[in-house]
Amino acid sequence: MTGFATPSTRPSAERVPEPILSIRDLVVEFGTEDGVVHAVDGVSYDVFPGETLGIVGESGSGKSVSQLAILGLIPQPPGRIVSGEAKFDGNDLLKMSKKELRRLRGGEVAMIFQDPMTSLNPVLKIGLQIAEAIQAHQEDVKDKAAKERTIALLKLVGVPNPERRYDQYPHEFSGGMRQRAMIAMAIANEPKLLIADEPTTALDVTIQAQILEALKKAQEESHAATILITHDLGLIAELADRVVVMYAGRVVELTDVETLFAAPRHPYTVGLMDSLPSLTVDEDWLRPIPGQPPSLISRPPGCPFHPRCFLSQGRSRCRTEEPPLRRIGPDGHLSACHFADELAGHSSKLVDDHLAGATP
Amino acid sequence: MVTYIIRRLLYSIPVLFAASVLIFVSVTAVGNPLAALKQNPLFSTQTIHNIQQRKHLNDSLPMQYAYWIKDAVTNKFGTPLLQPGTKIWDDLKRVIPHTLQLVLISEIFALIVGVAIGVYSAIRQYSIFDYAATTFSFLGFAMPVFWLALMLQILFTNIFIKWHVRIFYTSGLSSQNPGGGIHFWIDRLQHLAIPAMTLTLLSIAQYGRFMRASMLEVINSDYVRTARAKGLPERTVTLKHALRNALIPVVTVSALNFGALIGGAVITESIFQLDGMGPYFLGALLSQDAYVVMAWLMVTATAVVAFNLIADVLYGYIDPRIRFD
Repeated sequence: MTGFATPSTRPSAERVPEPILSIRDLVVEFGTEDGVVHAVDGVSYDVFPGETLGIVGESGSGKSVSQLAILGLIPQPPGRIVSGEAKFDGNDLLKMSKKELRRLRGGEVAMIFQDPMTSLNPVLKIGLQIAEAIQAHQEDVKDKAAKERTIALLKLVGVPNPERRYDQYPHEFSGGMRQRAMIAMAIANEPKLLIADEPTTALDVTIQAQILEALKKAQEESHAATILITHDLGLIAELADRVVVMYAGRVVELTDVETLFAAPRHPYTVGLMDSLPSLTVDEDWLRPIPGQPPSLISRPPGCPFHPRCFLSQGRSRCRTEEPPLRRIGPDGHLSACHFADELAGHSSKLVDDHLAGATP
Repeated sequence: MVTYIIRRLLYSIPVLFAASVLIFVSVTAVGNPLAALKQNPLFSTQTIHNIQQRKHLNDSLPMQYAYWIKDAVTNKFGTPLLQPGTKIWDDLKRVIPHTLQLVLISEIFALIVGVAIGVYSAIRQYSIFDYAATTFSFLGFAMPVFWLALMLQILFTNIFIKWHVRIFYTSGLSSQNPGGGIHFWIDRLQHLAIPAMTLTLLSIAQYGRFMRASMLEVINSDYVRTARAKGLPERTVTLKHALRNALIPVVTVSALNFGALIGGAVITESIFQLDGMGPYFLGALLSQDAYVVMAWLMVTATAVVAFNLIADVLYGYIDPRIRFD
């Protein structure tokens, strides 16, 4: 068992369900004037029915691009999918015709985008934008039925006064209401997979919690597996079942959410968690990960994280040899660090804080 | 909507008033309209005196302005400086429709073709079509109007000489005996075709570029990505979601163009000897008739204001974020 070929097979024998989405060795590049940007570089993971898979990473780590790419939503050119496989329900998305992919988008796979301010068409009524999503996939639905369904959806995601809101334009909606409308649009055709790309990033903190509620409700209603793309570890802790940590276009750690917080085994993950402010310890400064994310045009040799890594300490292996994503613990805990074992016994600051808070 | 239009109409009154002051000041600043006449042996002192009396030229400037405005409002700009028997409005009434016909035909055609070219260039960016359209646009921008007009004139004249087929006429507005009804209009279109083509080719270049830029911005926007993510067919994405947003800036430009062209197709109209606003203005300038010049400037200013209003109404119709109340 190599561990890498089937990175996210759950070893728990009682149920080994078929993944709804299975991405293998996906490579996505963008040709730019400065060179080729390796946005996604050999990414593999599975999403199982009913679960929420969190994908975390800094801006530009390839979190969103991998999702947009498999759905054919990146502009090509300059973008191109170099290699890989993305099996959805057994069919490879990357081999589908444009038409087949279009049928899937908004139907069985739906997306919620980051910025509800710009993601809705400013010149079309909200109701129409949701109803057309329904009618794009269920052509026999009459206008009246589509309207009724739209109003029901708006109600479901917590838009008050949905009958009146149906005829309003996006600029008459607040940010939170727009994101609710986006969620309603996404679940309109009862998708099997819901991809939420930073669904709360652009919103006020007070609104974020409400949107999460709406998202949870939408998830329950549609029974969809969810991919939650975010850089907010709090959101991951709240919603995700399993977590993929991405850095510089690669998966660096993959495990279930409890293990991730209790026993992170990649120095980048540890760094991410340490950079959060503590609630229990009085801190004068935040502790960011030193340095900048690497350029995706000319990546540092060896481990892409080594220039910023506290664990590397100048060891030559980090600089020369690229660490494979390998199994390092039970329950399919994967990490791409040569020295992941040295983090054994290390729990994240969050857990420490929690324990400290529990036993003052 | 109706209140909005009424309010905008009321707003245009002070705008036109300001325009009239500017026009009067700049035209009178050129000099006494009678100075040239006084040196012309064909005009007797009595004639000049009569003109002075009729146009109140001995009064102060504000009074002259007031008389002019009174004449313009109550008497449709009154009479020209020299021929007291004729009326300025009769001439304007004749030339304005001619210019309108020319401008409407060419601009509407240019809008349709330009928008289509721009949209297609944008969705097939860097294709052969896009490069061809770009090349054509720059040619269109660089080509002098008079040269294009003359070339088309020569081309269609030669076609007539060689094969004796009269597809389009190369000058004038109508034939000797154009007939009535439908025959008149077919004849008119045959006369307007080449001048309209001249104006159209230039405007197509402009609208095409404008539309391409605007469309490119829109098709890379988040909401177009949302439309695709919904699984809408590409046709719907382009025509329903992208086009309407991309049209907003083009509407503004074209409305301004319309207004400007009402007074400004001077070269084209002169070359094709169309009895329109352009040659009429040239004639007034040559005969140094300040009153005709001022009337012409007022009509043009009104046209610009009117087309701006139309642009704003269209703008609000396309973009719901523009509120009418």
